[in-house]
Amino acid sequence: MRTRSLGGRLALGLGLVAVLGAFVLLGLVALEYVVGSDEPLTAMQLAHEVADHVVAPLIILLGLVAVAGAMVIRSGLRPLTQAAIDVDRAAQTAPRGVRIDHNALPAEAQPFAAAVNRLLARLDAAAEAQEAFAADAAHELKTPLTILSLELEKLPGEVAKGLKDDVAALSRLVDQLLLLARLDAQSAAETPRESIDPKNIATDLISALAPIALKSSRNLAFEEVGGTTFLGRREAVTAALRNLVENALRATPEGGTVTVIAGPGPRLAVRDEGPGLSPERVAELSKRGVRADHASPSGAGLGLAIVARIMTAHGGALSADAQRRELTLDFNTREGIRQ
Amino acid sequence: MRILIVEDATRLAALLAEALAKHGFASDRAPTLSAANDALAAAAYDAIVLDLGLPDGDGLAWLKRRRSASLPPVLALTARGTLTERVAGLDAGVDDYLTKPFAADEVAARLRALLRRSGPRAAPILSAGPISLDVAARRATVSGATLDLSRRELDLLELLMRRAGAVVSKDAIETALYSFDSEVTPNAVEAIVSRLRKHLDEAGVSGVLHTIRGVGYLLEDRT
Repeated sequence: MRTRSLGGRLALGLGLVAVLGAFVLLGLVALEYVVGSDEPLTAMQLAHEVADHVVAPLIILLGLVAVAGAMVIRSGLRPLTQAAIDVDRAAQTAPRGVRIDHNALPAEAQPFAAAVNRLLARLDAAAEAQEAFAADAAHELKTPLTILSLELEKLPGEVAKGLKDDVAALSRLVDQLLLLARLDAQSAAETPRESIDPKNIATDLISALAPIALKSSRNLAFEEVGGTTFLGRREAVTAALRNLVENALRATPEGGTVTVIAGPGPRLAVRDEGPGLSPERVAELSKRGVRADHASPSGAGLGLAIVARIMTAHGGALSADAQRRELTLDFNTREGIRQ
Repeated sequence: MRILIVEDATRLAALLAEALAKHGFASDRAPTLSAANDALAAAAYDAIVLDLGLPDGDGLAWLKRRRSASLPPVLALTARGTLTERVAGLDAGVDDYLTKPFAADEVAARLRALLRRSGPRAAPILSAGPISLDVAARRATVSGATLDLSRRELDLLELLMRRAGAVVSKDAIETALYSFDSEVTPNAVEAIVSRLRKHLDEAGVSGVLHTIRGVGYLLEDRT
């Protein structure tokens, strides 16, 4: 049976050396006394001699070796423990591009560290490749969609309008799939988090969406109820909030207002004037693979699955309050304390 | 108004040029950045519509290199309107953004807004729907009839008209209307907006000045 701890193996090895050494020494000493002396010793005297000259020194020697060995091993392994702590910490703060500093490690551990570093490099490269793919795919898919919608603009009538809505839905779906691809890349190899003010995110997004909302006779509003900053990824948080606001605009009847609320605490909420989603429905819709929004009667779908993914990645949660018609993004400040 | 469309998808560029022609913009097309350089050397343009992903280089990097020479305002077309891309773009000198797919009306509206903003080629007379504002003469009219506005109301109208179709934040209005040392009461901006809205209502243009509660105000850019 092999023990996993180096300390355990040392103890086992020393024990074995002690037993073997004791037997060899015993044999040699006994031979010395039996062959070398003029008058043979009694068994009692022999045992005494052996205990004095073999067992006692052996025990003292082994004791010293065990203590020294344990100390050497512990200090030899300290760089490994430290490396593990460093990698863990780095993975949270400056996640992509993390490598083990193998110069600080014992020579025996260096090939292992180098292998792990090669693996980390491959992980980073894979994440970057996936992000590059998402960017390329966005460009390649969006250009023909734009051509399609510009062509449709030239056609009169109801059919063209319906087709234009389809193009808009398709474009939204492309955006959401690409966002999912990017989130997957993020979870493989992260990019750093930044301090986010929920008020900034909310007012920037409202400014961007207000012209479109007003064109469809709906309005947007912002309320500040004590929002506090939190650590996160601005792009992902904006995408999550944007999904909620766009869903809310679709659910709100003409003339209604969608309100974005910052706070209390590290929290963003979206209140609409539609029928509202029940918590059960939110949980159901948050599962990836639920049909996309243009196919679902409530006007939510893949969008909420993405929002849920983003929230999980931030150590937070998406929740619903059907009475108040609010969907809430709760960002866990634990993430901030850890840094 | 002459526009340069820098876009590698030739069919998209042609459709855009055709649609912009209906809005009174004449446009030339450049499928690559080097073609764009040639076009800019040969003619003067009022604005550039720039696709960010081009076969011979990145649109943003090109802009950064060109910024030393004075360029007309730039409307960027991007496949992915993410915030990081946007921030990088604004640093590089992009004046406004549109995410694909877009409607032709939207491109035209953004271009008009860019041309309205102050600058060497800023229009002396602003217009948004039936409202006109002679910036130098400080006179606002609705369908020819003069509006009787106070100085602050006119300043506010000018600010909103320069950015018609976009949200102007309450902070930006406070900064533009009041000097640093003057005491601004919390409701001062609201009061001016409501007076301006009343003037517009009386002149027969109602429902064009929207309040985005908690954020700012938006004047519609109806055509």
